[in-house]
Amino acid sequence: MKKVKFLALLLLVSIIILTGCTSINGDSKPTQTGDETPEENLSAILLIPGVLGDKSFFDSAYNGLKMIEEQYGATVRVVEMTGDFTKWEPNFMDAVEGDWDIIFSGSDTSEMLYNYSLRYPDQKFINFDSNMSDAAPNLYSMEYKANELSFLAGAVAALVTESDMELANEDALIGFLGGMDIPGINDFLIGYIEGAQYINPDIKVMVSYAGVFTDPPKGKELGILQYNSGVDISFNVAGGTGLGLLDAAKEQNKYAIGVDSDQAVMFEETDPDKSPHILTSAIKKIDYAMLDAVEKHLDGSLEYGVNVKVGLAEGAVGLAKNVYYEQLSESDRAIIDELEDKLAKGEIKVGTAYGLTAEEMNVIRDAVKP
Amino acid sequence: MGNIWEIIFATDFIFSVVRVTTPILLAALGAIVSDRAGVVNIGLEGIMLMAAITGVVISAQTQSAFIGLFAAVCAGILIALILGYFVLEMKSNIILGGIAVNLFASGGSVFLLYVLTGEKGTSSSLASKVVPNINIPIIKDIPIIGEIISGHNLITYIAILSVVAVYLMLNKTPMGTKIRSVGENYHAAESVGINVKKVRYIALGLSGMFAGFGGAFLSMGYVSWFSRDMSAGRGWIALAAEAMGGGNTIGTTITALIFGFAQAFANSLQGLNIPSELITIIPNVVTVLGLCIFAITKTTKVRKVKANEKNNN
Repeated sequence: MKKVKFLALLLLVSIIILTGCTSINGDSKPTQTGDETPEENLSAILLIPGVLGDKSFFDSAYNGLKMIEEQYGATVRVVEMTGDFTKWEPNFMDAVEGDWDIIFSGSDTSEMLYNYSLRYPDQKFINFDSNMSDAAPNLYSMEYKANELSFLAGAVAALVTESDMELANEDALIGFLGGMDIPGINDFLIGYIEGAQYINPDIKVMVSYAGVFTDPPKGKELGILQYNSGVDISFNVAGGTGLGLLDAAKEQNKYAIGVDSDQAVMFEETDPDKSPHILTSAIKKIDYAMLDAVEKHLDGSLEYGVNVKVGLAEGAVGLAKNVYYEQLSESDRAIIDELEDKLAKGEIKVGTAYGLTAEEMNVIRDAVKP
Repeated sequence: MGNIWEIIFATDFIFSVVRVTTPILLAALGAIVSDRAGVVNIGLEGIMLMAAITGVVISAQTQSAFIGLFAAVCAGILIALILGYFVLEMKSNIILGGIAVNLFASGGSVFLLYVLTGEKGTSSSLASKVVPNINIPIIKDIPIIGEIISGHNLITYIAILSVVAVYLMLNKTPMGTKIRSVGENYHAAESVGINVKKVRYIALGLSGMFAGFGGAFLSMGYVSWFSRDMSAGRGWIALAAEAMGGGNTIGTTITALIFGFAQAFANSLQGLNIPSELITIIPNVVTVLGLCIFAITKTTKVRKVKANEKNNN
């Protein structure tokens, strides 16, 4: 009998301990009072279709959530749903039943967000990185003009390869390392090519695709090949694989352009010799876009039911302008500033890879092939 | 077409073949030793990952590339021995155990990284060290050959020496005989007093050691940091190389080189006017072709033997 009691007690204690540990990276669920005065006690949940630590859009979205917490005293929670998409649906179910004012998600969950916003018309959803055009009245979707962003990267590359900077060579040849031959990556490529051609219409672009996003050695191998073929500056848009290109730039003593986060600053402390090779980085500022959306949500001006394309004009994308960027001459930097201005005003229109067929894409690549 | 020949005969290209082959070859050596002892270690992929993260973490802590390399190899051995414990003592299935090691390493390496650095993607915030490249005195001054042979990473030279060592060990030493006999028929080996369990532990430990070197090469030679799942299938390619090489050291080394060649060739072709989808499948096509050739030669051999038997009867 004593044993049974002991076991029951043990069970009870373990239940208390286990349930006490279930909150994920944040505060506990919002209380019911949130419903009465939602403006004073904003609550937001971020559902990430992957895990944090990508140094890219997921981390940036989480940073946006933290900014929302700080600025508006919001109750927030982030859920890393992992790349296993069978886990996404249950997390969405939990979220819609959890009295959150705003549910953030995006990227690969765009379709799921859309479906849920139709099923739960009273719940507000915000897509921080949309890749579809369907609109629901309670869903606000943001899409980033990656092509505008990489237009600037292309312009920087063209200016550098033509300049008399220390590591630049004579050839007007620049490089691009993509993760895969897919529209999301090619959108970057098209902007990059157009930006480079804006500076020098005869420029050649060497394009490589790794076919994988998690293989830095392969990225390095492809990078070395590019630099050996006369490329003096290359742009990586290949996730983890792309980091290999940065290593190649250091080893071959050439230049590189980072992506997603300020990659020069990322390596500043641990590999100070590498950072000077990374002249700038092309960044989607998802955090600021999220903060902006919440601000508009609070004053009631957020246009739910709309897909918004955010770009330079909204400050949602931009180049990293750090000390390494200052290796560019003052006149070159002035040209970039001017281009930013023109893009923001819509005076320059950049093409997009979305909706292009594989053949059309080939024509574009072949036109600049070295 | 001229371009392709230019690519293949460039010294840069041959140099890169050696570099691409190194991790595959090391893991394949691990596959040989364990396979010959009858314990197929399919956890190579995971062992490489764990060794890669361990090397980065320890070299960052100690600021010594060599202590990091040593720790990476120890981690490889340790994990292989843990696998050995479950397989040899607890009698679990070796294939399931290998799968468990791979799954554990994929998540476990990231978990370790997170606990130590708060990062989940790459170890860029750790100032880890890199194993140096070696310029071989005299040889480096010979034109062409010097450019190809000299200047590789220390681990690449370790890989080349390991090929010789594994060959000699398997074919010329008592230990090699024991490993092979245990793999061929462990009942027979047992009957002549060989400690089967011990031999298999040693074989698994050695396979962990080689895979550990391979993993260390990825994060401390090839590039200078760890990133999640960076072994990217090299452990599996190594298993294919071992199967295609028929389990012997020379055959496996040659197939590992063929795979490395295909991979490096695919990389080089990116510069030419060929669709990238076609290029990325080259290494895989080479693997499938190789396995087909292997299977065909094997079945014809078996047929010949059977035909002979019939004739004799």
